[in-house]
Parts: sequence; structure tokens; C-alpha cells
Amino acid sequence: MAATADIAQANTQAAQTAERWRAVRYLFLIFLGFWLLFTLFPLYFMAITAFKSAAETNLTQPTFWPQEWFPENFVGVFAEPTNFSALVDSFIIATGNTLLSLLLGSLAGYAFARFPRQAGGENMAFWMLSNRMFPPVAILVPMFFLFDNTPWGTDSHISLIILYLVFNLPLATWLMMVFFRDVPHELEEAAYLDGWKPLRAFVKVTLPLVLPGMISVAMLCWIFAWNEYLFANLFVGSDVRTYTIVIPTFTHGSQTLWNLQMAFSLIAMIPPVVLFIVLRRYMVRGLSLGVVKG
Amino acid sequence: MARVTLADVNKIYGTGTRAVHAVQDLDLTINDGEFVALLGPSGCGKTSTLRMIVGLESVTSGRIRFDGQDVTHLEPQQRNVAMAFETYALYPNFTIEENLTFPLEVQGVPPKERRRRAHQVAEMLRITPVLKEKPPGLSGGQQQRVSLGRALIREPAVFILDEVMSHLDAHLKFQMLFDLKRLHRDLKRTMIYVTHDQVEALALADRIAVMSNAKLQQVGGRAALYNRPANAFVADFIGEPPTNFFTARPLQENGSLTMQVDNSTLRFQLSSEAQAAVNATGGERFIVGLRPQNLTLDPNRGDPNRGRLKAAIAINEYLGERSILTLESGKARFRALVPPETAAGQRDIIDLFYDPTRVMIFDAETEDLIV
Ligand SMILES: Nc1ncnc2c1ncn2[C@@H]1O[C@H](COP(=O)(O)OP(=O)(O)OP(=O)(O)O)[C@@H](O)[C@H]1O
Ligand SMILES: [Mg+2]
Repeated sequence: MAATADIAQANTQAAQTAERWRAVRYLFLIFLGFWLLFTLFPLYFMAITAFKSAAETNLTQPTFWPQEWFPENFVGVFAEPTNFSALVDSFIIATGNTLLSLLLGSLAGYAFARFPRQAGGENMAFWMLSNRMFPPVAILVPMFFLFDNTPWGTDSHISLIILYLVFNLPLATWLMMVFFRDVPHELEEAAYLDGWKPLRAFVKVTLPLVLPGMISVAMLCWIFAWNEYLFANLFVGSDVRTYTIVIPTFTHGSQTLWNLQMAFSLIAMIPPVVLFIVLRRYMVRGLSLGVVKG
Repeated sequence: MARVTLADVNKIYGTGTRAVHAVQDLDLTINDGEFVALLGPSGCGKTSTLRMIVGLESVTSGRIRFDGQDVTHLEPQQRNVAMAFETYALYPNFTIEENLTFPLEVQGVPPKERRRRAHQVAEMLRITPVLKEKPPGLSGGQQQRVSLGRALIREPAVFILDEVMSHLDAHLKFQMLFDLKRLHRDLKRTMIYVTHDQVEALALADRIAVMSNAKLQQVGGRAALYNRPANAFVADFIGEPPTNFFTARPLQENGSLTMQVDNSTLRFQLSSEAQAAVNATGGERFIVGLRPQNLTLDPNRGDPNRGRLKAAIAINEYLGERSILTLESGKARFRALVPPETAAGQRDIIDLFYDPTRVMIFDAETEDLIV
């Protein structure tokens, strides 16, 4: 008798635990649902605004679905022909800066990882990273004067490509240092003993192992440079224009043309999204820092 | 293949107060085709020595020669040396076959020939079934054989193995010891094998170089190391269980010299040769060493000159094919290896016998062997 009672009790207990877990799961799903709404809503609103008429964007009672569709907006944003070249300029600057950040960051990161004492050690690496910690606006004006005195001036691709190194190089250096550290030095030493010269050993053995990490770093740098507004707004504007400083120009008198701004933003989102989708496989691997553990 | 000569080699890491003298005044010659084990406790400078031989570490002072040719300042690529790393150091994104052929690729060996040699080496090391896999999917023993194979696939002047068995279980280790011995017999390469495990060193090597505290202590075959250790360290390090040591002072008794152990009633008889040697030093303090294997419970093996020790049993450890007795007499503690059926229990007082010629005497200061 007692035994059956025990079993019955154990059963109810198990049932209770299962019940509790199911409740936790539902709560979690509800939370995720809210999170999704919260993060996706701005994107959704941006997308539908891009298809609205200018009049509809200014209603006091906002609409959550266009009353009338205006795909012409996407043509309208290119009424000013230089607007397209702004996208190209942004692309040149972001790509140029990314390549330079990767090259210099990899060299510095390799030095910090392999020769910590000769390269100034962890403190030096951390000092580089700490360069990212000041508010950018603090160096806005000094940087303007500094670049104004260079042969290419402020209003050029090269000025922003170099300037953005201030933000991207520390990040690239630090992350590449972490990735290189994950690759045992012995792999390179084994390659030397196998007869390979240092540079070729690096290219054959080390580089493929840090490549996923490198691609992640490239993405982070590229997106930062692509989206930068503060410095671009002050530095460039006539010879060179980035897409970020074009967006605020969509106005009509004192009226902000939200529909055009959103349409242009939507277009500007395409390159990073495409890049992300193409490189996603590598990014996830790189950012989990498990490069060699394979 | 080559004869390797290390002449007065020193390695100092760092500078100033943080300098570490990792290898000190090392003189060692490894003959062509010889298998030498470098044996010593952790941190004694074995890896540093190897890394200098292969050229991965600079030499602070001294010379390294291969067959008389000075290679002290040559790059690793120019030395034609092969090394199997303790951590295997396999290239994780290459297949096993690519790992094996990597040294051939840089020499410009055509792909077909590379494949043939890879298969040949894989055959020899029994890793053919995994040639297409990548290192993370392999067991420790397989990875270890791949790292050996990568070193063997070309014909290196010197073949160096750094603690390659420390990650293998006992069974696999036994198998690999056998394989290595066979490889050396078949290939007749100059091999340097680094280990802190004396069993591996004794099983494999023609000669063993014992290192401690950055210094080479003794080089020799197993009999020399076992029977005539150069100093107390070697006597302690070689042999299992380790040698018993006693601090003692000389005592004249009935016209012959004996060694009276401090704080104990133990007294050692010495051979006449030893007595003469001790007298010649005129010292007051000595270290007496006697191996647990050289103590026996058997009184009637006829020799009237046998020494005798009386002590109480502290521990009787039964280890299957033998027992280890830990004995006490006064403050002195020592061990004896006895047959497993020994029925003596704790606190029993027993007599142990030894051959006086087996007693080793070391200088108390320098710990060098006197006799
Ligand atoms: N790159 C280095 N920089 C500074 N000190 C080092 C370096 N490499 C080794 N040492 C020091 O040199 C000494 C000898 O080290 P080594 O690696 O040669 O010992 P080992 O005999 O191989 O030890 P183990 O059995 O633990 O591998 C140690 O005290 C170690 O701390
Ligand atoms: Mg070592």
C-alpha cells in the first residue's frame, strides 16, 4: 500500500516539475516575442514610411500601413544625381578604412600576441584599446584643423579613411591579438622546422586559422565606417559626400521629407545586410573566439 | 644523419634581476645514429636545450655543431632537423595527409611522390585509415603518430622528440615505446628523446643524459647510471623506489671504518676500497646511499662480510609482485624491497642484510660520489 502511495507521490512531483518547466518556457517565449516587437518595430516603421506620401508622414495620427503606396519615393531620392555617388563615396571610405584597419591591426595584433614583451605588453595593448573610450566629439575640432593642414584637406576620401582608424584600429588590433593568441605559436615553429620561411609559414598555417576572426573584425570596422555621421558631417560635403550626410538633406522648405529619408536609409541598409548574410557563417565562428578549437 | 655536439652551451632568458639561467655549461656529444634520452625533472632545461639544437631558441653562449659544421646561428629551416612536439602541433585545418606532406611541399616534391611517401609513412605508423581526416577528430595516440610521421617523412639530420608520450595512457605508451624502438632500429637516425620519466628513458635510449637545475649531471648507459651514479641527485632520480640516503659520520671500530648514521643506531659496514677512499678525503660528514633493491631479509646467503641493519617496520606496502617496507630506526627512515609474501607487521623489529660493496658514499657538501 505504502509503495503505491510513494509512486503516486513521485508521479505528482514529476508532473509538477514538468509543469513548472513548461511555464518557464512560455514566459521565455513571451519575453522573446516582446523583444522582437521592440527591436523590429523601428525597422518596420522605417520600411512603411519609405512607401508613404509626404503628406501621410505628417499626419498627427500616425498610420501603421500606407493609405496609398508611393514606390516612386525610391526614384525620387536619386533626383539629385550626386546622391548615388554618395553611396559610392561611403563604400570607398568604408572599404578603404576596413582594409587598412585589417592590415595594420593584424600586424600589431600579431606583435602583441607573439612578442608581448618586445611590443610593450598587455598594458600597451590595453592603452590602444582605451583610445576608444573617450567621447569622439572631444577630438572633433582638433581633428578638423589637423586634417585641414594635410595636402588632401578634409574634404576627401583619404581623410576619413585615416580618421576612422582612430576608432577601428584599436578594435582591430585588440581582436586580432586575441585571435592570434588562440593559434599556438608551436604551429608556426613546426612549420619552420618543416622548412617554411616565416612569412610563408604565416600565410599557410596561421592566416587560415584566424581568417574567420578577421572577417568578423572586417564586418565590425566596415559597419562603423559606413554608418559614421559626426565626423563625416564636419569633414566632407562638397567634393566627397557620405550617404549619412545626404539623409538630412531631404527636406522641402522647413518640412522634413520623412518618406524620402526612410527610402534612402532603406537603400543604404542593403550593402551591410547583404555582406552580413554572405559572411554570416564566418562571423559567428569568429565572434565565438573558437577559431582553432575547430 | 649527423653527430650532434654541444660545446659549453648556455641559455639565459631575460636580463637583469629577472634573468633565468635555463641551461648552464652544457657539454654533450650525440653520436651518429645514436638514441640519447635527455632525462630530468620538470623545469631543468630539457626543452630549452632541444629548442637550441633545432634553432628555435638563440644560444646565449657556446657552440652547436652537426657533424663538425657550426650551426649555432643557422635558422631552423637551414638545419634539417625534425621535432615532434609535446603538444603534437598538428595543423588543425589540414588533413592528416596534408600534415604529413607539408615538409615535402616546400621542398618542391611533386604531388604524386608526396602522396606515395605519405602512404608509406602512414603504413609504417599504422595511420592509413585516417589519412583523409583532420587532426581534431583523431585520438591522442593517432595524433602523436602523425606528428612522428611528419618528422620522419623527410630525412632529417637529427630527429628530436619532446615528451611525446606524456599525454598517452600506460597501454598506448607501452605500444609507442615498442614502435619507437623499432623505428630507430630500422632507420638508424640520430634521435634525442626528452622525458621526465625514467622508465621511458631506460627502455629506449642507448645513453641517457641526466639533467637537473640547468646542469648536465651525468651521461651514460643504464648500468653506469644505476650502479655508479655521479652524485646523489642521479642516485635519487634513477631507480624506483628511490635510493635511501642517510647523513652519517665515519667511526673507527675494531680497526675498520664504519659509517654511523645521525640520530639513529644504524651503522654501515664499508668495503675496504670504500674505507680507503673515505680515509683519503679526511672528511667528517658524508651521505650514505643504499638502494632499496640491495637490502634483503635473507640472512643465510653465506657471506660473512654482509652488513646488517636492525629497524622497525613503519609501513608494509603490498604491490603485487613485491612489497615495499618502510623502516625506522631513531630519526632515520628508509625503504627496502622485499618478496610479497613477507608477513612482517607494523612495529615488528627485523634484521636486513646488504652487501657492503653496494653502499654508496657521497660528499656531504658537493653531493658528488666518492665511492
Ligand atoms: N621563453 C622563456 N622565457 C623565460 N624563461 C623561460 C622560457 N622558457 C623556459 N624558461 C625557464 O627556463 C627553465 C627551463 O625551462 P624548460 O622548458 O627548458 O624546462 P623543461 O626541462 O623542458 O621542463 P618540463 O619538463 O616542465 O618541460 C624554467 O625555469 C623555465 O621557467
Ligand atoms: Mg619541456
